[in-house]
Order: sequence, then C-alpha cells, then structure tokens
Amino acid sequence: LKMMLLQGWLGILFCSIHGMLGSVLDCEVGGVHCTMSIEMLLDRAIQHAELIYRISEETRTQFKETFIPLALVTQQGHADHLCTVILPTPSSKSEVGQISDKWLLHSVLILVQFWINHLVDLQASLDHYDNTPQDLLDKTKWVSSKLMSLEKGLLTLIRKVRWDVLLFFNKNSIADHLASPRTMEHVMRDYTMLSCFRKDAHKIETFLKLFKCRQTDWPGCSFY
Amino acid sequence: MATCLTLLLLGALGLLTATGHRTGPASELLTPDPPTQPHFTGCRSREQETFRCWWSVGSFTNLSEPGALAVFFQMTNTLYAGWRECPEYTASVQNECYFNKTYTHIWTSYRVQLRDTAYNITYDERCFTVENIVHPDPPVALNWTLLNVSRSGLNFDILVRWAPPPSADVQMGWMSLKYEVQYRPRNGTRWEKMDLESGTQLSIYGLNTDKEYEVRVRCTMSAFENFGEFSDSVFVQVAQIPSKESMFPVMLLLVFGGVGLLLLLLLIILSQQERLLVILLPPVPAPKIKGIDPELLKKGKMEQLDSLLRSQNVCKPHSAPKDPWVEFIQLDMEDVVEKSETSDTQHLLGLTHLGSSHALSLKGDDDSGRASCYDPDMGAEPESIPPVREVHSPVVARSSFSTHIHSTTTTPEAAGMHIPVQMQPSSQSWINMDFYAQVSDVTPGGGVLLSPGQQSSTPSKNTDMKKKKEDREEDVAEEEEEEGKLQLLVVDSDGGYSSETVARQQAADAASSRVAEQAYHTLSEPPQPHPQAWQGGYLAPDRQPHMPYFSPEAPLASVLPPVSDYTVVQEVGGSHHLLLHSAAPQASVCPPHPLKLPPGEPALPLGYLTPEFLENLSP
Repeated sequence: LKMMLLQGWLGILFCSIHGMLGSVLDCEVGGVHCTMSIEMLLDRAIQHAELIYRISEETRTQFKETFIPLALVTQQGHADHLCTVILPTPSSKSEVGQISDKWLLHSVLILVQFWINHLVDLQASLDHYDNTPQDLLDKTKWVSSKLMSLEKGLLTLIRKVRWDVLLFFNKNSIADHLASPRTMEHVMRDYTMLSCFRKDAHKIETFLKLFKCRQTDWPGCSFY
Repeated sequence: MATCLTLLLLGALGLLTATGHRTGPASELLTPDPPTQPHFTGCRSREQETFRCWWSVGSFTNLSEPGALAVFFQMTNTLYAGWRECPEYTASVQNECYFNKTYTHIWTSYRVQLRDTAYNITYDERCFTVENIVHPDPPVALNWTLLNVSRSGLNFDILVRWAPPPSADVQMGWMSLKYEVQYRPRNGTRWEKMDLESGTQLSIYGLNTDKEYEVRVRCTMSAFENFGEFSDSVFVQVAQIPSKESMFPVMLLLVFGGVGLLLLLLLIILSQQERLLVILLPPVPAPKIKGIDPELLKKGKMEQLDSLLRSQNVCKPHSAPKDPWVEFIQLDMEDVVEKSETSDTQHLLGLTHLGSSHALSLKGDDDSGRASCYDPDMGAEPESIPPVREVHSPVVARSSFSTHIHSTTTTPEAAGMHIPVQMQPSSQSWINMDFYAQVSDVTPGGGVLLSPGQQSSTPSKNTDMKKKKEDREEDVAEEEEEEGKLQLLVVDSDGGYSSETVARQQAADAASSRVAEQAYHTLSEPPQPHPQAWQGGYLAPDRQPHMPYFSPEAPLASVLPPVSDYTVVQEVGGSHHLLLHSAAPQASVCPPHPLKLPPGEPALPLGYLTPEFLENLSP
C-alpha cells in the first residue's frame, strides 16, 4: 500500500512537472495552444509598449528633422496640445489611483485599437511625400505590426482575467480629432499625429506598468 | 483654442520688434545687456507629479516686486477651459510658480502666461505637457567596486552602482528611467560617456591603475531627451602593485637574453657544423671480416670471397666452450665441411660413396662437428633448429644415414637392432643429434613426417631430452620440468628408441623417392614449443602406414635390452591411456608390436594428451 501511495505521489509529481514544463516549453517554442500566465502576458505586453513608445519617439524626431524647417519648430518641439481626447484617461497619480484595473486595461486596449486604425492614414500620407526616408516608412510599418500584436496580447490578457471586452469603435478619421485649422499643411498635420501617437504610446506604457504593479501585492502600487 | 504655435510666432515677432525698438537708445547708451522683457526662464518637473515655472523680470526692474507679475495657466483636456492663476507662488524662491499634485496633469497640454496684471500685458507664454518637461533628480548612492586587475597590473575594471532618485516612483512604474554614466581621469577635461543604462549598475573596463578617475551619473525619462542633474562624483583609484610593475622590465630582459642565447647557439652550431656532426652522428664503420680484404666485398669477387670464407672457421664459439669435446668437434667440423659436397638426397639414398670409412669414422664425429656451431641447449627447441641445421644437416644425414644405410644393407633387423646398440652406449653421440630432430610435417591423422636429419637426430633428441631432464631437474622452472617430464614420458621407452630406428629404417628402406621427399618435408608449421604438441607429435600414431612415424613401441623393448634411462609406455587406450600403435605395413621391417591397436581405432588427436593428463602419468 505504501508503495502504491509513493507511486501515486511520484506520478502526480511527474505529471505536474511535465505539465509545467510542457506549458512553458510550448510557449517558448511558440506552440499554438500554449498557455501563458498572466504575468508572462503582461510582461510581454509591457515589452511591446516600451518598444512602440521608443520607436514612435524616434519616428517623430526623424520626421521633424526631415520635414519641418527650423523656423516652424516650437519651443519644445511637441505638438501634443493639438491632440484631441480619444477617451478620458487619468492624468495624474491620484487619478490613476481612483480607476480600476479593468478600466486601466481597457483604456489601453482602446488606445491601441485607435492607433492601429489611424496609423494607416499616417502611412498613406507619408507615402505621398517626395523624399520620405525609407527608414521612416519602415519604422511606421514596424510600429503598426507591433501594435497589432500588442492588441492580440491584450485581448488574451483580458479574457484570461475573465473580463468582458469593452468594445469601443471609433471610426472617425483622425482629422476629426485634430482641433487644428484646415489651413495647416499636411506636414504639420502628420507631425501632430506623430506627436499625439507618441503621447498615447507613453500612456499605454505607463498604464500597463501601473496595472502590473497592481497585480503584485506591493503596498506602494495601490494608492489613494 | 488658438494654437500655441501661432502665438509663439507672434511673440517671437513681437520680441524682435521690441528688441529692435529698444536697441536704438540702448546702443547710444552703450549698455552691454540688451533690454529684455519679463519672460519665463524655465518650467520643470522633477518627478512627473509636480512642476514649477520660473520667470525673470528682465530689464523691467520695476516689476520685480512680488505681485507685479502673475502667471496664468490654462489646461487642455479638462472641463475647465478658463484661465487660472498660479496655484502657488513659492514663498522662499522669487519668481517661482509651483504647481502641486492637484494641478499637475500629465498627457495634458499646459498653457502658461506671464502677465502684468496692472496693465494686462502678456509678456511670455509657454505650451507644454508635463511629461516633456520632466528632468529627474540625480541618482543617489553612487559607489564602485573593483572587478579585477589585469595581469600586467596596468589596467583594472570596476563595477559602478547607484540607486534611482528617491523622488521618482520607479517601482510603481510611474517613471521609467535611463541612466548615463560618465567618467574621466582626475585631471582630464573630457568626460567619457557610456551608453544609456536601464539598470542601476554598470561595468567600466580598461581603466589605468596609475590614474585616479572621477565617475558621475545622471538620469532621464525613457525616450525623453531631458537629463537631470549629475550626481555627486565618486573617485576611483586602485593602488599599484609595485612588484608586478617592476617585474615587467625584468621579464623583458629575460626574454631578450634568451633570444640572444639562442642566436649564439645557432652561430656556434653553424660554425662548427662538421665537428658536431661527427660527434653526434658517428660514421658507420665499413663492413669488415677478419682476414678478408674489404676490397673483395666491394668489388663483388664472389669466388674469392667464397673460398676465403670457407677457409675461415665461420662458426666459432662466442664463448669458451663448456665441454671439452666441443673443441674437439670444432676441428673435425672443418674437415667435414670441406667434404660436404653431395646433396642430401644422395646422402639419404646412400648413393654417395658411403662405404667410405669416413662415414663410419665420422659417425661419432658428426655430432661434434655440428655441436660446435650450436649451443647444446638449443636442441630442446625444435623450431630453432631448422634454420641453423641446414648447413650441417647434409653432413649429419650423410653420416648418420651412411651408418644406417650401411647397416641396413646387411640385415634390416640386425641393423635395426644394431643401431640402437651402437647408439645406446654412445649416448653422447646422440646428444648433439637432437638439433636435427626435425619433424618435417604432421599429418592430419597425427602422424609425423620426419626429415632424415630429424630421424637420425630424434634419438639424439631423446638423449638430449634426457640430458635435459637431468639439467632440468636442477631447474626450478615449471615449464621446463614439465616439458622434460613430458618428453621423457614419451621418449622414455625402449620403443621410442626402437621406433626411431624403425623410422629410420623405414625411411632408408623406402626406395620410393616419395618417402624421401616426405622425409625431407620441412615442417610447414614449426613444431610448437608446447609440450602438448610435441608430445602429440611423438605420440600420435600414424594412420598412414607408409608415412614414417615414430611412436613408442614396446616390441623393440623385448628385442633390446631394457635401458634404465627410458621407461616404457605400456599402453595407450581409450581416453586415459597411452596407446601404442603397431607398426605400419612397412613395419614389417620392424619387429611386431606386442600391443596392437584394433585397426579401426581412431587415431589420437595431437592434442589428445593434455599436459595435466601427462602430469598424472608421470612417475
């Protein structure tokens, strides 16, 4: 009887180990039906967000240096103030503390989906220029692809957390969202778009990090 | 809302015109500073939670009183779209507007204006978002540890560590910081900049031990361009290890010295090449044979060489002969060699002039002749005999056969009987015959083909074996003892002797050349030193009666007087006995065997008698 018990425990142990290894291995290899923990999904999403934000900043800088003459450059070089509000988001630490995890994640998802749609317009606009550097175009394309993968990751994460996915469709064009006079040149419009995108990318990254912090039990994360 | 862009452009234009207006009288007064209106000097945030704006009155000193100028701000993305005045003017610092957490919103555009409230003049305006004006505080707790020092002692590596500024909430993820480390030698002017580091430590490699370094670090928000202030510098210095440093020239010296020595050696070798060659590789001496002119060897005068060689005694003993009769034999050998001109076949068949008394007289001397060239102990090893024997076998064969044939010409039986009688007393004469105890071939049935030399020498072999037995009894070696014993077992029989004689007789009687040929067969396989094989050779009965063979035969025992040295193997039968075969059809020459095997009995295999078995049989 003792032997049987021992065998049983060993069997369970091996199965669990195999299961763990299997799941880890599957995901490492890129298996179709691999299962990732919430932490892993979140880390992957944060990686995406960091990269997207960095590349968006590089794109904006490059665009500014390539297309915008010095005279028109503002003091700070950002046209963030021209961005319209896509959705109300917290803007301070205190405000962030007042919203729920669910809302954090959903707002990230909404932002991502918005920019997936509107980066296409940006790319189309960029193609119309005469001397667009190929590097710039590649970057925008890369960012679009990363955004899409981030969206998938977020959807998976939301489902894993067992929240209903809020659907937010905003099919208006970016032009409606820019409170800029129509006299603005295309270049400025594109630059503004890039700045706004950069800002939102920063939002996405920050929200995801805040969300991750909340998943841990560290007291500093959950605040007033 | 009007764009900040256009406003700024207007502001810039206004500034230009204003300055342009003012420079007129100013230039007359030669004032070095151009008059400036109040303006913002900067807006900064330290931790992305609060921010401050500073301004300067410029030349408008009359506005330096507090309250003369006011800061108004407007935020986008909020419900409240109006202008508000600065929430807090810092009391301790002049001309500073502080926005606390409540009024600080990131991702929000701020529009800040510097106004003269009395006259409602806007002197300056700024647009920004808070995250774009973040300049983090310097990192804290900068320290360094030594990683390692290079082997030469000239360079060292350090690990620099720091902590993020306490004001920045990195742990929560509110701010993501990147750090930049800079270092320079103490008295240097240019700072070495390392790549941006996301972590809180960095390794610096390749610093010089003889210099003191200054290291500092600053940070910025990730993907932003605004660096904070530098941290306090730390000074890095590693104490030099004098021994290592002083070792370096010594090592150099050694290296150069070694190289010089090598060169010297080379020189010496090259100069004294010939001499060295002679010492190291002594010349091989030319071939020399005593008494023979090397010239003969060179020019290939074979005939002369042959004669010379013959004249000389080639076979000289290496050491002093142990037995006195060896010397005697030596001298005789010379005579014998000269006369050995006939072939072996002729000797065997007795076609040569055997009737010469020479042969008989030489009977006893034959052994001596041969023995001079051989170590007496060599006879125990049959396989060593063939190569040496060839020179002398004709001699012995001739002599032995001469005797044998001579005897057989009269009466075979008598000869057969005679010879042993003759042989027996002269045990010594047989001693040396063992060299020629050559088993020419072993038949599958176990029979033994003997060459004439062998046949004649087998008795000598026996005697030699016997002698060996005597020798070996003193020996401690087990192998030899066993061998001797085994040999004795087989040999020690009257039949053995007689069998040899019988075999000889058979060979001699065999008029057919076939026998002779068979007799002359050299062993395809040298007889094994293994006593078992040897024994087999001795014991194996021969199926083919025409094949000469020898086996211990008892019948002769009855004929011959018993010899104390040789015991008789009575019987071999079944699986545990020594079988004695009767003589072959040609054995009609031989006396009938008292013990006869049934004709259908299979021949014993060569290895039939195992050493262990034979051991048991030994007395």
